[in-house]
Amino acid sequence: MVEFSLWDILRNLLNAAQWTIGLSLMAFVGGSSVALVLLVARLSNVAGVGWAVATYTQIFQGIPLLVQLFLAYYGLGLFGINTSPWVAAGMGLTLYASAFLAEIWRGCVASIPSGQWEASSSLALNFREQLRYIILPQAIKIAVPPTVGFLVQVIKGTALASVIGFMELTKVGKTIANATFSPFLVFGCVAVMYFLLCYPVSLYAKHLERKIHAHR
Amino acid sequence: MPIVEISGLRKSFGDNEVLKGIDLNVEPGEVIAIIGKSGSGKSTLLRCINGLEVFQSGTLTVDGKPLLHNNAGAMRELRQHVGMVFQSFNLFPHLTVGKNIMLAPGLVKKKDAAANEAHARKLLGRVGLAEKFDAFGDQLSGGQQQRVAIARALAMEPAVLLCDEITSALDPELVGEVLRVVEGLANDGMTLLMVTHEMNFARKVADRVIFMHQGRVHEMGAPEALFSTPQTPELQQFLNALRD
Amino acid sequence: MRIELDFAAVLAEWPLLLTGVGWTLVLTTSSVMVGMVVGIACAWVRGRGFGAGIAPAWLQRLVGAYVELIRNTPFIVQLFFIFFGLPAMGVKVSAEWASVIAMVINLGAYAAEIIRAGLEATPKGQMEAAQSLALTQRQVFVWVVLPPALKKVWPSLVSQIVIVMLGSSVCGQISTQELSYAADLIQSRNFRSFESFIVVGAIYLVLAVATRQLLNWAGARFVFGRR
Repeated sequence: MVEFSLWDILRNLLNAAQWTIGLSLMAFVGGSSVALVLLVARLSNVAGVGWAVATYTQIFQGIPLLVQLFLAYYGLGLFGINTSPWVAAGMGLTLYASAFLAEIWRGCVASIPSGQWEASSSLALNFREQLRYIILPQAIKIAVPPTVGFLVQVIKGTALASVIGFMELTKVGKTIANATFSPFLVFGCVAVMYFLLCYPVSLYAKHLERKIHAHR
Repeated sequence: MPIVEISGLRKSFGDNEVLKGIDLNVEPGEVIAIIGKSGSGKSTLLRCINGLEVFQSGTLTVDGKPLLHNNAGAMRELRQHVGMVFQSFNLFPHLTVGKNIMLAPGLVKKKDAAANEAHARKLLGRVGLAEKFDAFGDQLSGGQQQRVAIARALAMEPAVLLCDEITSALDPELVGEVLRVVEGLANDGMTLLMVTHEMNFARKVADRVIFMHQGRVHEMGAPEALFSTPQTPELQQFLNALRD
Repeated sequence: MRIELDFAAVLAEWPLLLTGVGWTLVLTTSSVMVGMVVGIACAWVRGRGFGAGIAPAWLQRLVGAYVELIRNTPFIVQLFFIFFGLPAMGVKVSAEWASVIAMVINLGAYAAEIIRAGLEATPKGQMEAAQSLALTQRQVFVWVVLPPALKKVWPSLVSQIVIVMLGSSVCGQISTQELSYAADLIQSRNFRSFESFIVVGAIYLVLAVATRQLLNWAGARFVFGRR
């Protein structure tokens, strides 16, 4: 048994938390970029694209994130790509985030009254101009609270990356818990750290939500 | 003996005193119409009688028993004797018309299923909607919904029925069917307290009309007297405004 | 570079897959039944117009802390805490029991918030009408408030239940023999890792769609239906 003081435990966990944060941000930013492309594609009304994106969303929402990560890990290996946990976890979480964000944003755009589309096309704006000047500015305002809320889901999702070997907070926690034979304390600390990461974001999302509704 | 005795009733919402000392006795079988401007306290008075509003001072006795707000058992007992029909009907949307009527007798009076259903069908027939037993509220017109609400309140066999502007939310052509039902109840001897804007109805059916103004009983009397010879300028003003 | 995929090798292990599906369904069903009760109770405690005026302040704070703690920590950490942490405190739990307990605690917290929103959206007139008919507070809650409230939030609730069902995949990490554990077992035997998880992924997809349909039907039929 390795001797770990409480401070040792915390120090190692805090270290690992950096990777949690890094992976979360990477997946969130990457996922947002892909989601934006998917959203615009869906809105463009090109035949078949809407259905394809809807299917994409259904698949990612109907398969556990854990299985998605395994598929990324083993799938990349199949293609001979270097299966570092970073790449696999990054890719897996990015695609997961893109599907959910695309769906959230689609809902926000759909809630913009059709009158806005009609008015702007009556003013001879083309599709790109409608999106850029009329629809997206309004949709973005509505979309911010749930998007921020989803960041919390991404942070929690990084915990599963531990299963494919990514050294983040949960994996390091499990290792230390085994080494010190004090799982109650160690996992307790791990939970607290996730809480400290997620709760402020949750509160912020709630605050944004209230601000939006106050205007209505 | 009066079935409802109110003495010195005062009620405030925060700093705003809405009922400034009400004294009223209602005899069994009496039909009382309460009229007045909005804000005069009419609905609040009615809601005090079945305990939906809590009053700060005074006494209120129904059927000889005083109103005890903190006593849940006493309140339940009270509400078996005092029924209420609301302006917005408040039918339970997830239950059929028949189930709406049968719910309370089944749960509170523990009526057995067969007797309960028979009673409910009879009441529904009495309000002229026998064929709607299995329909849902949102499938009915406003007037029909309100008649169901009346049947629902009657199912508990109350001694007193409170009607809080029960035709105010109805389209004009639907008002008549509801008032006809209420007239029937009055003729059958039900004690009724009605807050209403339907002056002609009040004239025809009420035994007594009460005009409320700024939280007090301002004038009270037989309908003919009150409507044709109002004593106070406030009532005169109120009646004139209605005629315009 | 030719990639050869051999799904037959995976499908040949159908007994393992069937066991996995069975366990996934058992875990989900039991945790949903208990979790919903927990959720309704917690929703009532904090509901404005319900327990918020009646329940003691310490209870409301406790429930609030429980809800926020669960919603802001990963399920896998909650599971590890229960499975590895409880024995350290002297409470022995099997993997299956730890899984169910963790799932109940998890669903309860999310359901509490969802149902609370439904309760607080109840029109005041409904409660007044029911009170005027001499129903007790409990009767008003069970017969008049809860059914329409559940109906209102049913889509969110069903989504959350599907999320919990998919989340049960994590329980394989403590060797509960649910579906993702079956995939891991199969691929350790025939090295068909990618195919195993594709097959299992497809099964989850079917389960997710089927569960959603089933719960929508069941809700209308049993909980808040047009009765």
